[in-house]
Amino acid sequence: MTTVTAPAAPPGAAASAPKRARGGGFWRYLLVRFLLIFPTIFILVTLVFFLMRLTGDPITASLGDRLTPDQLAERIHEAGYDRPILVQYLEYLGNVFTGNFGSSITDGRPIVDILLSYGSATLELAIYALIVAFIVGIPLGMVAAYFRDRWGDAGLRVFAILSYATPVFFAGLVLKLIFSVWLKWLPVAGRASTRTEIKLQSLDHQTGIYLIDAIRTGSGAAVGDVLAHAVLPALALGLLTAGVFLRLVRTNVIGTLSRDYVDAARSRGVGEYRLVRKHALKPALVPIITVIGLQIALLLGGAVLTETTFEWKGLGFQLAYYLSKRDFVAVQGIVALLAVIVALTNFIVDLVAAILDPRVRY
Amino acid sequence: MASVSHKTRVLAAMTIPVTAALVLAGCASDSGDNGGSEGSSIIVGTTDKVTFLDPAGSYDNGSFAIMNQVFPFLMNSKPGTSDVEPDIAESAEFNADGDYEVTLKSGLKFANGNDLTSSDVKFTFDRVIAINAENGPWALLGNLDSVETPDDTTVVFHLKNGNDQTFPQVLSSPAGPIVDEEVFSADAVTSDDDIVKGEAFAGPYTITSYKFNELVTFAPNKEYQGILGAPENDDVTLKYYADSSNLKLDVQEGNIDVAYRSLSATDVADLRGQDSVEVVDGPGGELRYIVFNFDTMPFGAKTSDADPAKALAVRQAIADVVDREEIAEQVYKDTYTAVYSFVPQGLTGATEVLKELYGDGSGGPDVDKAKERLEAAGVTVPVELNLQYNPDHYGESSADEYALVKDQLDASGLFTVNLGSTEWTQYSKDRTADVYPMYQLGWFPDYSDADNYLTPFFATDNFLLNHYSNAEVDQEITQQQTEVDPAARQKLIEDIQAKVAADLSTLPLLQGAQTVVVGTDVSGAVLDGSFKFRFGTLTKG
Repeated sequence: MTTVTAPAAPPGAAASAPKRARGGGFWRYLLVRFLLIFPTIFILVTLVFFLMRLTGDPITASLGDRLTPDQLAERIHEAGYDRPILVQYLEYLGNVFTGNFGSSITDGRPIVDILLSYGSATLELAIYALIVAFIVGIPLGMVAAYFRDRWGDAGLRVFAILSYATPVFFAGLVLKLIFSVWLKWLPVAGRASTRTEIKLQSLDHQTGIYLIDAIRTGSGAAVGDVLAHAVLPALALGLLTAGVFLRLVRTNVIGTLSRDYVDAARSRGVGEYRLVRKHALKPALVPIITVIGLQIALLLGGAVLTETTFEWKGLGFQLAYYLSKRDFVAVQGIVALLAVIVALTNFIVDLVAAILDPRVRY
Repeated sequence: MASVSHKTRVLAAMTIPVTAALVLAGCASDSGDNGGSEGSSIIVGTTDKVTFLDPAGSYDNGSFAIMNQVFPFLMNSKPGTSDVEPDIAESAEFNADGDYEVTLKSGLKFANGNDLTSSDVKFTFDRVIAINAENGPWALLGNLDSVETPDDTTVVFHLKNGNDQTFPQVLSSPAGPIVDEEVFSADAVTSDDDIVKGEAFAGPYTITSYKFNELVTFAPNKEYQGILGAPENDDVTLKYYADSSNLKLDVQEGNIDVAYRSLSATDVADLRGQDSVEVVDGPGGELRYIVFNFDTMPFGAKTSDADPAKALAVRQAIADVVDREEIAEQVYKDTYTAVYSFVPQGLTGATEVLKELYGDGSGGPDVDKAKERLEAAGVTVPVELNLQYNPDHYGESSADEYALVKDQLDASGLFTVNLGSTEWTQYSKDRTADVYPMYQLGWFPDYSDADNYLTPFFATDNFLLNHYSNAEVDQEITQQQTEVDPAARQKLIEDIQAKVAADLSTLPLLQGAQTVVVGTDVSGAVLDGSFKFRFGTLTKG
């Protein structure tokens, strides 16, 4: 992402000339950004392919204590894992380019099915986490800016550092200990209670996003149950990003509050609250949009640990499981999808930032 | 005044959404929907995983746990015993040719209405062998030559080695669930969805809803006519967990009724002290050993100072010194028990031969005896031992287990142990390549028969490849496999154990205990030597 402030236009330049230049530049910028998606995914998928093979093969992992070396070698040969790694790699690339992700070695499930089944759970968690990040990070950032260099500001800055420096699994365990085990306010784990899950399973054409499915059941208890299960995972993952948002909003609001137009508004008698909310916050939110792209990658990385801690059966949860089984095919498929999501999100963010912020250089 | 008001508004903007979320969560919690079951419905939690529902495609605890509820077997064991008897069969016995002949009950049906005949039985076993799936149970059918079906209710299993006394147990093993030939594929593993949609179930339960490795709901199958009888509950829901601590918390809080496999030793110890649950123990089939490589261990055949008598003295002295009780108690909080037999307690043929031969004679260590043994053999002490274990395959407590073994051996003054660990993939290759003179091994049985603890370990060219060979043991192993008289067979099994106890090719340390945790209002949890946990006996209230 290169959001560099453009130099001031030379005096006397025709107003229409730069406009035409910007139009062509915009599309070229868009094209370059789009094309960059492919090497990004390619590099990631390649890395995963080779790294997975450094950790051994799935046949030895599952049958190593039962078969003799000869039997094991025969099985490995049948599966083709003893072929030159470059041959395997080229075959894999060929399959990926033709949209054939194959089936998992462990349980024979088509990778596309796995991505669809568990992707919705991860998407739901990521949305909840982003909501938490917004409703915690942005207001607190405004508060910190408002109380700049006072105790409130110092406290919030410490909170911000803690929230993005604390490992997400640790935050999850602490939250679970306090709110589930000690206070018994919230469920320990899972996406819903067993009874609600049974209710959701009875629906035709489930979306996999539990909140939507729970609403479709027409049961308020089911909706409440699903939301109650989402609170702690969303907090654990959302606070990770909230800290970043808090600091970003604080810095930008402070910067905007010192601008001339804010002073002018203040001198016209505009109240402090209105100044922060109406005049300082909106410009301060633009950088947040550009940061979201990076945060999506962080959220997906955090989702692996959050989903495992809270039994949130999404892509991260499955990724951890298949990694433990050294299931090459499943891990490659999931990582490829995550890479696509991150690359596409960054592309969209760059696009939105370019549209919203005229200072972005094409 | 105005600025105070603005501050309040800013703070309110921040706190309202957070508070609302917590209140909403609180409301949901107060709704009384704590996730527990109602009436005689039972919720069982597990950390096991399913790989395939299709018996031809899987050979693991998680998949077999479901198969035991929904598929019938020709031979099966009633809760409380590991001895098998005809399940959906009317009779089953070896014929004069040494083949195994089974007569099915008449009028058997699958839940989908399809008839269950001898043709389904033949189809079942033929496809396991034909599919030869990577993680399938095909290896268990190594002695099966062919299956013949003279009529709709008769099945003849032609065996390569006739009168194979383990075959009835094989029919009760993961290779034995009978499937519907009209639903299952003959040459490929059938998907879980196809099996569930096809209602291809003829066991005590059918599956009414299925979400892979998340939630499975079972309802009693009216068509089942086997020895397990009709389930005593209305339905069972099986919930899957990834983290055993979440499983523990849920059973402790009453969100589920039963926690079966696998809670950590610490969690089980903690739950024993809780009023809200009851811990039920049973014999486990897992054994944990130290394996000796006869070529590379101290004084082994390929070492510079090779001496079989000294090598034997070293093995026996180690057996004298290790304190199994201490390992079971300190490391595993008694979720494993000390074992002094090569066949685990609970199975026919189990003895305690090692207790009499080594240590203080009652299971405890005896360093003086070990010292005398080594002196008598002319072994200079301390003997340097290279002992290897694996930290990522046999449970997270392996490191503690082997640290304690090292401590015990070092503390005797007779040994100096160099303890090493290797990641599983490499460990699997190294252990059969003579890399480790002594190493850790764990074993889960394929079926509940003593033979499964003897042949793979002590027959010449066994799967350990530790260069142990004893012609008398080989002969008796072959004999017991086909001995039709149960008493004579048991005697042979005991003799084999006496011989291998003297040779000490492996040193069994611990036997896994099965544990299930149930709510105080749940009864009927039975754990036995079949290592099958049946949902049908569970009741609530």
